[in-house]
Amino acid sequence: MADAAPINPDIELVARTQDGDARAFDELVVKYSPRLYGLVYNMTSNHEDANDLLQDVFAKAFRSIKGFRGKSSFYTWIHSIAVNMTINFLKKRGRRFQMSLDDVDLNIQNDKEFIELTASSSPVREADLGELQQKLNESMLKLSPEHRAVVTMFDIQGMPHAEISKILGISEGTVRSRLFYAHRQLQAYLEEFRKK
Amino acid sequence: MKQEDNDDISKLLRLKRFEQPPPEYFENFLQEFQHRQRAQMLRDPAWRIAIDRLWAFFGEQMPARIGYGLASTAVLVAAAITSFHILEVQPVAEVATTAAPGPAPAAQTASLDFDSQVQLPNLPAMTHTASFSQPRYVMDARPVSYELPSSF
Repeated sequence: MADAAPINPDIELVARTQDGDARAFDELVVKYSPRLYGLVYNMTSNHEDANDLLQDVFAKAFRSIKGFRGKSSFYTWIHSIAVNMTINFLKKRGRRFQMSLDDVDLNIQNDKEFIELTASSSPVREADLGELQQKLNESMLKLSPEHRAVVTMFDIQGMPHAEISKILGISEGTVRSRLFYAHRQLQAYLEEFRKK
Repeated sequence: MKQEDNDDISKLLRLKRFEQPPPEYFENFLQEFQHRQRAQMLRDPAWRIAIDRLWAFFGEQMPARIGYGLASTAVLVAAAITSFHILEVQPVAEVATTAAPGPAPAAQTASLDFDSQVQLPNLPAMTHTASFSQPRYVMDARPVSYELPSSF
C-alpha cells in the first residue's frame, strides 16, 4: 500500500487561523517573512519600503484569510498578494525614490558562482562588491515592475516557471517571454560585468 | 540572445540573494507586525475588512483574463439596461408634458385666450410616431404645410 501524501503544515495553520487562533498566523509570518522579504526587497531596492510593504502584505492576508478556500496553496496565495501589492506600490512611487540597500552577506565569497564570476580576467573581479551591488540594483530598477517581478522570482529566488505563472495568474509562455525580454534589457545594462 | 549570455545574466542576478537585512531584523519583524496589527484594527472600518474577504474569496485562483471578461460583461449588461431604460422613459415623458390632464391655473387660462380664434384642423390623435413627424406651422387657421406650393 502506498504511503499517504505528506500533509502540508500550512493547511493546518490556515485552518487554525480561520478559527481565530492568531498564534497560528504568527507561525505563518515567521515561516514566510524571509522569503517574502527577499521578493519585495529585490523588487523595490529599498529596505524601508520592503519592510513597510511586507507588514501590509501580512496585515492584508490576515484580514482576508477567512475568504481563503485553499484552491491554491497558501504559498501561492501569499506570494500573489505580495507581488500585486508591490507592483501597485511601484507604479504609484514612479521615479521618486532613493535606493537603500541591505548589506551583502560576506558568505558570498564562498559562493561557487561568485568564485566563478571573479575568476581570472573577469570584470567582476576588478569591481568591488558595493559597486556590483549598486549596478545590479540600478539595472533591475530600469525594468518595468512586471518584468522585475518575474526576474526576481525566477533568477534570484529560483522559482520554476509554473509556480510564477500561478502567482501572477498568467501563462507559462508569458512568463518565459517576459524573462527573455528582461534578460535582453539587463544584458545591455550589465555588459561591463559580464565575462568576456 | 545567446544561451551563454542568458546564463551570465542569471548568474549575476543570483548574487543578489546575498543582500540580507541585519541579522536581528526577522526576530523583530513579528513583534512589529503584532504591534501594527493591533493599532490597525482600531483604525480599519468594517467595510474594508469585508472587501478584503470578498477579494480573497473571488480572487483566489481566478485567472486575470476571466476577471477582465466578467468585468467587461458586467459593464456591457449595465450599459444595455441603462440604454433600454432611457429609450422607454423618454417618449412617455414627452406625452405627459403635451397632454397634461387637469384644469390649468386661472392665470394661465387667461393668457391662452387666442386658442378660441385659432381653428385647428382635425388632426389625428397624438401618437409616439406623430411626435417625431415634421413640425407644422399654423397661419390663418390653416397649417402651412397643407398649402399647395402653387398657392403662394
